[in-house]
Amino acid sequence: MAEMWISMGPQHPMTHGLWTLKVKVDGETIVDADPELGYLHRSVEKMGERRKYFMNTTLTDRLCYASSTTWTHCYALSVEELMGVEVPQRAQYIRTIMLELQRLASHLMWAGAYMPDLGHITGALYFWRDRELFLNLLELPSGSRLLYNYIRIGGVKRDLPDGFEEKTERILKLFEQRLDEYADLFENSKIFRMRTEDVGNFTASQAMNLGITGPNLRGCGTKFDLRKQDSYEIYDEIDWEIQTREAGPGYGDCFSRYMVRIDEMKESVKIIRECFKKMPAGPTMASKVPIRASGDAFRRTEDSRGEALMYLVGDGSDRPYRWKIKSPMFTTISACPHYLKGYKVADIPSIMGSIDICIGETDK
Amino acid sequence: MSLFSFCRWMAEWTANYMLIPVFDFQKNLFPPFSHPAGTIADWLGTDGGLDTLAWTFAVNIAFAIGMTNLILVIHLERKIAARIQDRRGPMLSFRSFRELGEDLAGEAPSWRFKDNYSGIGILQNMADGIKAITKELIVPAKADKFLFTMGPIIFISSSVFLLVLFPLSDRFAASSAPAGLMVIMAAFSIAPIGVLTSGWASNNKYSMIGGMRSAAQLMSYEIPLLLSMAGVFLLAGSFDPVTIVEQQQEGTWLFGLPMWNFIPQFLGFIVFMICILAEVERVPFDLPEAEAELVEGWTTEYSGIRYMLFLAAEYIRGFAGAAVCTILFLGGWAGPWPIPPEIWFLSKVYLILIFWIFIRWTVPRIRTDQILELGWKKLLPLSLINILIVIFMVEIYPYFSDIVNLPEVF
Repeated sequence: MAEMWISMGPQHPMTHGLWTLKVKVDGETIVDADPELGYLHRSVEKMGERRKYFMNTTLTDRLCYASSTTWTHCYALSVEELMGVEVPQRAQYIRTIMLELQRLASHLMWAGAYMPDLGHITGALYFWRDRELFLNLLELPSGSRLLYNYIRIGGVKRDLPDGFEEKTERILKLFEQRLDEYADLFENSKIFRMRTEDVGNFTASQAMNLGITGPNLRGCGTKFDLRKQDSYEIYDEIDWEIQTREAGPGYGDCFSRYMVRIDEMKESVKIIRECFKKMPAGPTMASKVPIRASGDAFRRTEDSRGEALMYLVGDGSDRPYRWKIKSPMFTTISACPHYLKGYKVADIPSIMGSIDICIGETDK
Repeated sequence: MSLFSFCRWMAEWTANYMLIPVFDFQKNLFPPFSHPAGTIADWLGTDGGLDTLAWTFAVNIAFAIGMTNLILVIHLERKIAARIQDRRGPMLSFRSFRELGEDLAGEAPSWRFKDNYSGIGILQNMADGIKAITKELIVPAKADKFLFTMGPIIFISSSVFLLVLFPLSDRFAASSAPAGLMVIMAAFSIAPIGVLTSGWASNNKYSMIGGMRSAAQLMSYEIPLLLSMAGVFLLAGSFDPVTIVEQQQEGTWLFGLPMWNFIPQFLGFIVFMICILAEVERVPFDLPEAEAELVEGWTTEYSGIRYMLFLAAEYIRGFAGAAVCTILFLGGWAGPWPIPPEIWFLSKVYLILIFWIFIRWTVPRIRTDQILELGWKKLLPLSLINILIVIFMVEIYPYFSDIVNLPEVF
């Protein structure tokens, strides 16, 4: 068969959002790829420059529909650095709990979206059933299920409700049991491993050169997690490990990326438990939060998908002068020709699914 | 009484008491002119006419039974899939209509409907059928219109043809040919032509890749499939389903159980089960219509009742494949007395179908190169080894056992 271009998207089951992947195929083998982004661009950065600092948390919530709290948290961190606000200890613990719950929900959403890519519909329903549990938990303090707007500049909106710890503990216990059950269905399954092992390989140095971060980089065996390296909130006071896995010496495949996320979920459960144990009493909001700021601030956090980065410049007014967001997925998707070449057409959903695409934050 | 003699009796009754009097009346209505009704009445009175009528009845009965089973299989698949996935599945049935009617008639206290109506969901298939029939049949602008129409006809007609080919028991067979199983496998292999035709005629790259994948897959799986069947044919010495089932009742096994073919030819049974899954294109071998990368593959451009019939034809092929497997390896319609053989046959078929449904909802899909590798490098040698074992059993072992008086194993 002659070489031809196939356009996958913007409406295609593989894309998980609104973007186009053009692949050049020779029979079934991929020769070249060309991602096209920008269908969902809402100019969040420019909109933010016309709004006051505290208003922007609604915009950052909408950056990623699967992981909204982490983005609001990144924004709150950078504004707090700009304004010099001290966040109370209890608020930091609550933030950590919410971030880890959000990471669990986001990874479960990814796992549920990854299974139909491999033709495994049942997996989607199992993982999304578990995601419901964590959405219920996130709903308790914040009052909503998708866009929480719970983390605010200087702390959190309100304290945790009564009985939150017991409910969380019950759900975490159930979730741990279920993850062990799923091991037989997914990672121990021969066909699942046939589809994911030795597919979509890239080495750690390649990933660093291309700007791939987060679980995709840790899937190559690199111990890089901003929660440890550039610690924020109370992550350095808690005993936890960076989860890595590699398919071979210095490179990762779809299966190692899958396992890194599964291990990360187990680690998040540990972090939440320890947070509840160490959580002090006290206020959940800084006593005084200014509305004007000047200077510049730069913070990066470990989002569910990689390194989220925000740069803010204030000119002394109540609105940011300049606001820049760096999305982890934008660089990862842009690098896709490097890790798609040489694989089969049937591997495209497997590879693109394993890097956990979220178009909301990619297109901003 | 066999199905054909029953149909012959029915044909005689219908011809003598219903059709011939009507045609005679028509003929006598206009006596001055020669009337075709008269020749039809004369022809119906002959043996040939009655045989033709009897065949029509027999084929229609087999077709109706197959279609009823098709509805049941689809319903079973939906319900079992739902139970595996922690859902309830379709719930709409006649009973839920009655409850809804009672609510609407004002017997329920509130204007609001109840949250759930009891029912097992058998009406969901009817609802899907009505929906599919009322939809537009879209033909893409640059498609090859003739081939685009011919593809579904080839695929669906060859699949429906399968329904009349396999017997439900030795007395209940619409057709019984000495080469019965060869005819079934020949009918199975017409479908790739329809798939390739509709994939190419759609003028869509996804469809074309799907059609090519289907052709490659079916071609590479026909060979181990037929080779694994060859062992059974060697053992029975016939292609006739009735002979094959009778042969399986001869030997006995532990506790006097009949030695059906899946015990001596376990290797062949495994190869056949994998290959027939690939032949009927079910998960994990459904890559010609992989919805993740090819968006339903070669059926992408089809809409309405054509798409619905594609799906129905796939279930018919699955049903026929399970029936062939039952005849070859699971003793066909044989079973203890009080239950009629037709029910034994169908329950074995449904056992295989339920096993397939469990597979479908618990494993991912395999890749194209992996499926071809599996077919050529693993299944083909295994089926050849199976044939070697059967040749040893049939030809060499009896010869040696006569000389050295070995203990009876098989």
